[in-house]
Amino acid sequence: MLIAAQPAWGTLTALVLFILASMWIGVLANRATRAGSFMKGFFLGNRGLGSWALALTATVQSGGTFMGYPSLVYTHGWAVVLWIAAYMVVPITGFGILGKRLAQISRRCGAITMPDLFRERFASPGLGLLVSLFILFYMSFMMVAQFKAGALVMKIAWVGSDSWSEDQRIGRYRVTQSGLSGLAAAGVPTNVIEAISPLKDKLFATEPQFADAVHAELAKLKPAPGPDQADAWVHQLANASELTDWPYITGLLIFTISVVGYTLIGGFLAAVWTDLFQSVMMWVGVVLFLILALRGVALLQEREVANGAPPRVAQMNTLEFANRRAIEKTSSDFAFGPGYDGRHQGRSFLPLGLAFSFFWIWVFAGLGSPAGIVRIMACRSTVNIRRSIYLLGLYNAFIYIPLAMISICGRALIPDLPVGKTDDVIPMLAMKVTSALPFGEFVSGLILAAPFGAVMATVSSYLVVIASGLVRDVYQRFVRPFATSRELEILSYGVMTTIGVIAVVTNLRPVDYLQAIVVFSGTGAAATFCIPMLMLVFWRRATVPGMVAALLSGAGTMLGLYYLGGVLGWGTSLIGEATKFRPYFLLGLDPLLWSLAVSLAAGVVVSLLTRTCDEALLSKYFDAEPAETVLPTAAVAAEVPA
Amino acid sequence: MPTDAPAAAPRREDPVLKSARREALIVFATWIVALAYTITYCARYGYGRTGDDLRYVFGFPDWVFWGIVVPWGVCVVFSWFFASVLMTDEDLGEDPPGTEANPTALADQQIQESGEC
Repeated sequence: MLIAAQPAWGTLTALVLFILASMWIGVLANRATRAGSFMKGFFLGNRGLGSWALALTATVQSGGTFMGYPSLVYTHGWAVVLWIAAYMVVPITGFGILGKRLAQISRRCGAITMPDLFRERFASPGLGLLVSLFILFYMSFMMVAQFKAGALVMKIAWVGSDSWSEDQRIGRYRVTQSGLSGLAAAGVPTNVIEAISPLKDKLFATEPQFADAVHAELAKLKPAPGPDQADAWVHQLANASELTDWPYITGLLIFTISVVGYTLIGGFLAAVWTDLFQSVMMWVGVVLFLILALRGVALLQEREVANGAPPRVAQMNTLEFANRRAIEKTSSDFAFGPGYDGRHQGRSFLPLGLAFSFFWIWVFAGLGSPAGIVRIMACRSTVNIRRSIYLLGLYNAFIYIPLAMISICGRALIPDLPVGKTDDVIPMLAMKVTSALPFGEFVSGLILAAPFGAVMATVSSYLVVIASGLVRDVYQRFVRPFATSRELEILSYGVMTTIGVIAVVTNLRPVDYLQAIVVFSGTGAAATFCIPMLMLVFWRRATVPGMVAALLSGAGTMLGLYYLGGVLGWGTSLIGEATKFRPYFLLGLDPLLWSLAVSLAAGVVVSLLTRTCDEALLSKYFDAEPAETVLPTAAVAAEVPA
Repeated sequence: MPTDAPAAAPRREDPVLKSARREALIVFATWIVALAYTITYCARYGYGRTGDDLRYVFGFPDWVFWGIVVPWGVCVVFSWFFASVLMTDEDLGEDPPGTEANPTALADQQIQESGEC
């Protein structure tokens, strides 16, 4: 058990400090946004992002960096470093491909949001609306998942919990008479209900504990039910026995009020500055953690030497010692691809096709992220774009490689976390290596505040993008084009508050497959937007129908492959991460690769088959001296004829 | 039915577009080289091995060190070189007046519309 049923004061203090700091940042940001118009200030920070803010906030980083990735290294071993290896080029691809032109075009057309860019560059309100709808679709998915993660962290600090794990079903369970009657009414055989009736009125803190207990009772049946049938009954019973989880709901409310609160105060800049703040905290946390974890392994090594281990153990590099311990506790697969299979089901975590795919996924997920694109649009100058490239390069190298080393130390120091509990490795290791230090709990709290900050910052940036999508791209563009600044301001606050309420309501019964949903929406956005963005900034010949074709075919291919794998069950479920919400890996490759290929082909072919955009409009964005002609603009709804 | 673009006078391409395209090509090439090296090296030395021949370099399994850590370092150095030497600074321009993004003209317009002084 990680944290007993008492508040974890160190973590709690660190989280409260984090929230206060974020509120303060919100107030500072509020002052800074007052300089220009409300829309440009609140949603774009008056195009004033400097190098650090751009570098450390514009690419894909979330709570997953600090929680999901170490858990995967702990579970599957060094193959996971190959899984993440594309981050070596993410800084240069993220800013070097689109950055300069994106910043230029967004200024040339006065774009505040990503749909603005599409709308103005092609003088097509319809295209802008389509992009808005896609953004709202993907961002809503991502945000719902993030609220659950934030609420879980808060719950753990607030009242303690049995597990840090993001993947667990939240809530406590009690088998009641009415639950059993419900099962009988649903057609579950009487002998099954009798078998589980000894569990009546017992309390279970987590779903795994509950499921284990029910499975144990079902196993006593003669003949024992098949595993699929038993799983189905357990699932049915779990749904009927779940109690209201007040600690989780409290955590959800505190998290939502804090994050919506400071975003509402400071808008885009608050989101960016808190993101910067958490990124710096994460770096400090990782460096501190690496030193402490290696020290923990070194102490273990010294103990083994004192207990008569061979002399070569004493001379061994600390990390090598940790590796050898980890391999002893698992198998040699831990040190190689495709990764260690802890469940012994024949799962191949990273076959070469997927390793190849992830070199695309991280790069294009960064390129196609709407939150990232807006931040590039908000940069101050090309000097900031240039500096961001190497600042982020250094940052990534000092985050991802040390985190892998920490997780390997975790496997050596806490070797036997059960499968399904491996998300606990970071908090457990943090507590273990700081336990002997003065103020150790507070130090571990500081380390653990990083993932909480990451989740807050992610939610905050999504809130801004969603609110700007509704207020700017839908309301101002299509409902009331001449709305006053004050009206838009009030509407923005209303929209953000409403999103907060919706997020709380949808998370009262939280979604399953959290990580899979994040992956789906991240790669889905990349599949939809990457090729159209490249066409928008570089290709003069791109047309509105071509853009629509690229957007729809990219998204359609992604959704189609998820439908084939997740709903129809095509292909093997034994590669990649274990989840039911999975795509069909055609030829062993991730759906993103197929989606990009289809999107590119559709975009190019349809553009070449349709009439080119108005020459004066193209001249505005592609020529050194734009033609002296009256330009069509989206404002006058000059849809380019196909 | 494809139609040709209307005949236009000789035009000079936007300098930002030119430099951005050149830089994007360099970046794409960097990505391809990194991908090709890392995947090939790791496929060759990181897959299908048993633990018997495993060697360590600074505590990392040999294939991780040479296949991932070293190219990662090279990428960081190249990123610095690219950003400092190959990538040029350009004037990004200003937001057009009279739009929400450039409020000076818009503010005047809104004051007139709302009748405020």
